[in-house]
Amino acid sequence: MSSKPKVIRQMPKTPEGREAPSTHAGQGRRGDSERYSLVAVMELIRSGRADTRLEIERLSGLGRAVVTDRLTALIDLGLVEEGELGPAIGGRAPRRVKFRADAGRILVATLDSTTIGVGLADLAGRLRVEHYEAIDAAQGPAASLKRLDTLFDWMLDQYPEARDVWAIGLGTPVSLFNLDASGLNLDALDSAIATDKAPLTENLVARYRAPVWVRSLVQLMTIGEFGVRNEAGMSNRDFLYVDLGDEITAGLMSDGRLHRGAHGIAGQIGHIATDSSREVCRCGNIGCLELVAGAGAIVGEALQAAQDGRSRYLAEVLAANGQLALADIGFSARLGDPYCAELLSRCGQLIGKVLAGLANALNPAVIVLGGELARTGDILLAAIRETIYRHTAPVVTRDLQIIRSQMGRSAGLIGAGLLTVDALFASDRLGGWITTGTPLQHPDVQALLARVTQSRRMPPPPDPSPDR
Amino acid sequence: MSIAGLGPHGERGAPFEQLDISEADAERARLACFRLCVVLHTTTSDWAKQALKGIAATLDVYGASLDEVVDCGFQIDTQIRALGRLTDSAPDAIISIPVGGSAVADAHRRVSRAGVKLALLDNGPTGLLPGSDYVSVISADNFGLGTIGARLLSPYIPPAGRVGILSYQADFFATNEREIAFRKWMGSERPDIRLSAIKFPDLGSLAAIFTAFLDANPDLAGLFAVWDLPAMEAVKVLAARGQCLPVTTVDLGNQAALALAAGDFIKGIAAQRAYDQGVAVAKATITSLLGRDPPSWIVLPGLATQKANVAEAYQRIWHEAPPAALCVPKAV
Ligand SMILES: [Zn+2]
Repeated sequence: MSSKPKVIRQMPKTPEGREAPSTHAGQGRRGDSERYSLVAVMELIRSGRADTRLEIERLSGLGRAVVTDRLTALIDLGLVEEGELGPAIGGRAPRRVKFRADAGRILVATLDSTTIGVGLADLAGRLRVEHYEAIDAAQGPAASLKRLDTLFDWMLDQYPEARDVWAIGLGTPVSLFNLDASGLNLDALDSAIATDKAPLTENLVARYRAPVWVRSLVQLMTIGEFGVRNEAGMSNRDFLYVDLGDEITAGLMSDGRLHRGAHGIAGQIGHIATDSSREVCRCGNIGCLELVAGAGAIVGEALQAAQDGRSRYLAEVLAANGQLALADIGFSARLGDPYCAELLSRCGQLIGKVLAGLANALNPAVIVLGGELARTGDILLAAIRETIYRHTAPVVTRDLQIIRSQMGRSAGLIGAGLLTVDALFASDRLGGWITTGTPLQHPDVQALLARVTQSRRMPPPPDPSPDR
Repeated sequence: MSIAGLGPHGERGAPFEQLDISEADAERARLACFRLCVVLHTTTSDWAKQALKGIAATLDVYGASLDEVVDCGFQIDTQIRALGRLTDSAPDAIISIPVGGSAVADAHRRVSRAGVKLALLDNGPTGLLPGSDYVSVISADNFGLGTIGARLLSPYIPPAGRVGILSYQADFFATNEREIAFRKWMGSERPDIRLSAIKFPDLGSLAAIFTAFLDANPDLAGLFAVWDLPAMEAVKVLAARGQCLPVTTVDLGNQAALALAAGDFIKGIAAQRAYDQGVAVAKATITSLLGRDPPSWIVLPGLATQKANVAEAYQRIWHEAPPAALCVPKAV
């Protein structure tokens, strides 16, 4: 390497792997500085900051010959492709280069107490396909995980490109992390790549031969909402997403970065105490917000009102369907049922008060309200808005936008894709695989796959999973 | 009838009965004289004809005009061009059944970006969002239809028998949902049954693909097709070979209904309510043109149809008297 880079912005850190690059399977010997310059060029292209050779030279400080060589290498590796001609600035028009979002695929999934969602994302985080279905919580987490395997298998079969799986991203509520039977635990969160302590992730690694990232579902939804708004040119770098379902959770982007919290579980706002309940929550505390304003709590209250005659409309729905759904309450409210309108408005006020506290503390530019409860209609949303404005300082709400999410559960899957791709391309990890063209050749991933294969040869655990 | 499937973004479905336009709103609509266009995958199938009838009748009630109906012939390019041309003609709204997934997403997105309301039938292309990109998806409960197909086929399949799934090899939400649901029901209720996918890219190549599959799998005990036209193609192949297999499918088209009444091959049909779906999409579009938000995922449950109730189901679905051939004695 003759031309040493003079300026490299965001010089990547040395890869964590101790293995010398020459031990990577099927690759020639490449020096460290060559690898760093590959990483630097890759990052400039993937982030969209540079899309011509000249711009890469200018931003990286690398010489022309080096940039040309690295571009050729990245194109050969399938990570970059040539696009159309750019505008000519004196002389020939430059050929644009861009990140090849089809180079690999990410299997994404979300799993909560009512619904399983699966999808296939490209490396730009765009979903190629998505599917959702209701799950029967009574059958336990093991049944849901088995269903996850079946749906992933179906996608691999139906979409041949899905076989280029580079990684799996999975979002699930923090409340599920500690369920022993599900095999999800907090340890899996802190080590981005699955560990032996996480049977769920281990099963997925073994079955699909790819590393797995598990994250808090609401945090992934926040990334997804933020990413899609960003792409649509509605970027607000200080952004609060609130998921209003059985659980009430929130995610915060602060200056464009996700706030994860010390244990990766930030956002459990459903357990903020209100003074309107003396009930004991599953978290062990008294008066938690979701006990009064969570979707399950609201349906429970509505059921009582249907039975004791406080809402004639709900009584009719109950008689006709044998059950009540949250949507029935929203619909009844819109039709003018006073009980339902009052119930939704009261819950909106309770939620609004908690959000006002958050807005005062965090000063977001946008609050996006998502989840099943946010889809019940305008009554609840109006109550939330009003209460936020009433309980925040005017300087906080001056330009505050409070809007309803349009993405539904897609936010979680998109977020899972975006997070996983960012993890694969994080500069310290990228250095460990870029010369091979696939993160599956990263020494840590190879070690993980070997370890999982090894542990699969051991005697089966007490509750053996079906033959794979 | 409950709704089994979730929407393209995981939404719980709103029953189509919830689409109600008040008399005051109806009057406002009539004064506005809305202009609409319809873009369909095909206009020749029985489903399409019925859905169109439902749309036209409903638009009429609200004083709206149906300016143009485009038949895309299942072609992605045709649909992309049609959407562009219609958008330029600036109607108030377009009702479309997207013929693909992500491939037609941008073309649909441009409709709403141009200020034309867009309501979708059956299929929500991945990447489009309700509110900003479209008004609602009005759909059959495709997940429920797949479940019905499995439930009706199961009694005809011997223990450990092999069942083929005639599976549409295209990125299409509705047929995907049917197939996933069929597999799910079989997996949990008849785990003994072995499932084999028989993928076809288009109807034209189905006969050859299915014939090759039958040659290679003489043990096939039954068949599920993701809609009625491939089912009838497969029945033709079976009849020519003199091979009798039970078949279930989705959509009570005329041919399939007659075959069900005859009872030789078709043993059950998960019927979609195409006319009602047309009514629902027209109502949702009018609702949105009046400035109100209809639910983003509006669903019509399917109807399990067998030989015994085929005439009655026909009447209910097509809103017209069944052909004489369907009126078989109930005791058969
Ligand atoms: Zn609590």
